[in-house]
Amino acid sequence: MSESNHKNILLFAIGNNGRQDDGLGWAFGEALEQRGAFRGEIHYRYQLQVEDAELIAGADEVIFVDAFKGKLPGGCQWKRVEPSANFEFTTHALSPEAVLFWCEKLYEKTPEAYCLLMAGEAWELGIGLTLVAEKNMESALEFFKKTYLNPATQTSPERTAGILVRTPF
Amino acid sequence: MQKVIIEPVTRVEGHGKVTIHLDDEGRVKDSFFHIVEFRGFERFIQGHPYWEAPVLVQRLCGICPVSHHIAAAKAIDQLAGLDPKDLSPTATKIRRLLHYGQIFQSHALHFFYLASPDLLFGLDAPVEKRNVMAVALENKELARKGITMRKFGQEIIRVIAGKRIHGIAAVPGGVHKSMTIEDRDYFLNGKDLPDVDTMIEWTKEVVGFIKDYHEKNALWLDSFASYPSGHLGLVNADDGSLELYDGRLRGIDSDGNRTLDDIRDVDYVNYFAEGVEPWSFLKFPYLRHLGRENGWSRVGPLARLNVCDSIGTPLAQQEFEIFKKYTGGKPNNHTMHFHWARLIEMLHCAELMKALLHDEDILSDDILRKGHRRPEGIGIVEAPRGTLIHHYQADEKGMITRCNLIVSTTHNNEPMNRAVRWVANNVLDGKPELTDTLLNQVEIAIRAYDPCLSCATHAIGQMPLKVTLYNHEGNIIDERVKS
Repeated sequence: MSESNHKNILLFAIGNNGRQDDGLGWAFGEALEQRGAFRGEIHYRYQLQVEDAELIAGADEVIFVDAFKGKLPGGCQWKRVEPSANFEFTTHALSPEAVLFWCEKLYEKTPEAYCLLMAGEAWELGIGLTLVAEKNMESALEFFKKTYLNPATQTSPERTAGILVRTPF
Repeated sequence: MQKVIIEPVTRVEGHGKVTIHLDDEGRVKDSFFHIVEFRGFERFIQGHPYWEAPVLVQRLCGICPVSHHIAAAKAIDQLAGLDPKDLSPTATKIRRLLHYGQIFQSHALHFFYLASPDLLFGLDAPVEKRNVMAVALENKELARKGITMRKFGQEIIRVIAGKRIHGIAAVPGGVHKSMTIEDRDYFLNGKDLPDVDTMIEWTKEVVGFIKDYHEKNALWLDSFASYPSGHLGLVNADDGSLELYDGRLRGIDSDGNRTLDDIRDVDYVNYFAEGVEPWSFLKFPYLRHLGRENGWSRVGPLARLNVCDSIGTPLAQQEFEIFKKYTGGKPNNHTMHFHWARLIEMLHCAELMKALLHDEDILSDDILRKGHRRPEGIGIVEAPRGTLIHHYQADEKGMITRCNLIVSTTHNNEPMNRAVRWVANNVLDGKPELTDTLLNQVEIAIRAYDPCLSCATHAIGQMPLKVTLYNHEGNIIDERVKS
């Protein structure tokens, strides 16, 4: 159940680092790369797209990492994602649930999927995260390291059920 | 006065809202398509070194960053002292291949995932059916092909630019790298990805579909949101054929008379002005000599096929002749024919990609040229949605001091307003009800233009659909919210 067991894991870092805290997803992906802690594939996206359904069809596990506009307890949230026809009011961009739904219906595959959300507070044109967003990202990285990357916690209820996690500041 | 608000519009990029104003008798008094997203990018980029522009401007859009990248690169070439003819054949061909990959994937996305519900399910389809998932579930093979075609274009971008987003392909005076034999063969041998010949075959099938669909549905496709207009686009400087990367700007009126006679793109500033309205952040470009009221033009696939004399690839040329014959060689002013024109362009791009992938120049390491600095640069390309203009000035230190962007959707601002007005006049008038059919038709009219209203921010938790109906006293009498 862990990446050390050679599961094919995809991580989608979603956002736009030209829009302040909308860059949280990319910053998280880049931090993981820099720290060399994650051995799955990291894909950077402005938005999730239909062809991502084909990509995840070949994966065992998928993690969607994105900014969240609003408040989150502890600044971040980890949750299980299930396929859902949650598409009625999206534009070119799809939700993680909708990508999983496409994958299930068109390619008959349903990889295990999670979503890691980090709260941001500024969304205007500009490069760089706010201090609050940076703090939330560090919390998310700490959580990810402890709960996801640590083989000892791979099957913990928190990790597999996608329970809301409060991270200590 | 009563007011109907539809906000925002679904399955287009970014947010917009439509306001339809009714008089006391419930008749349409006026209508507006509001663009309420303010980007401010032209100010944001000031003070940055000019060579950063092609990378920075990609952040304008999550769907067509490549178009902004290439338009900016053409402008930056001029700041570096180079005109398009000065670039090496390899640099030009790599940029063209990138551009055609972008248009191919963008058009595929629009047709399969945005427009197909409008075409397959029609004007009166129930809300739960008016989406691409319904199309996919009823046409799985079509959906899988659509995904693969889009992927092919995205892979062209990834291989050339290094990444599918915010990659680096064009640099001042050329390109960052050329293609390797392995890169090229990936698109030709069909081992890991259906090959470019398959893309051509599948696109022919889709063009066949739209022609067949038109034969069966000519009445509504020819009439829905149709109105006379000017048309604008690039044409090849030598023979007037369809040009997407570099050419002369040509304008025609609704009868085909020239309004802009193949001007050099760098002279655009002498011919264009931009109007503003208090109810929209988007400007309204028009041809100066025709004035604000008459000088607006449509841009994009329909306009491009209207202004060009021919198409330079054989299969697309055959389809172009059929398309032109339908209107007796006259300009085609049928809004819903954007979809038909878009697919012919897709075929053209597939043929162009094939030709370039078989061209040895794309493997050469002759990728960069140098020139003498200039203070100003203008780059114009035909983006998937239409004519895209990037204009920069830089100081002696190379810092950008002025930037003006006229994006495709800006050109189509007035045309989209006209399309909304058509729906308001023909569908709503006398029936002041907020019905699904009405909302659907407003959206179909706008969506034909494939507008991109600014999709560069998204964060989960946004994008509600709010529909509000006001009576003549300004009170809300009906409201719907989707999220």
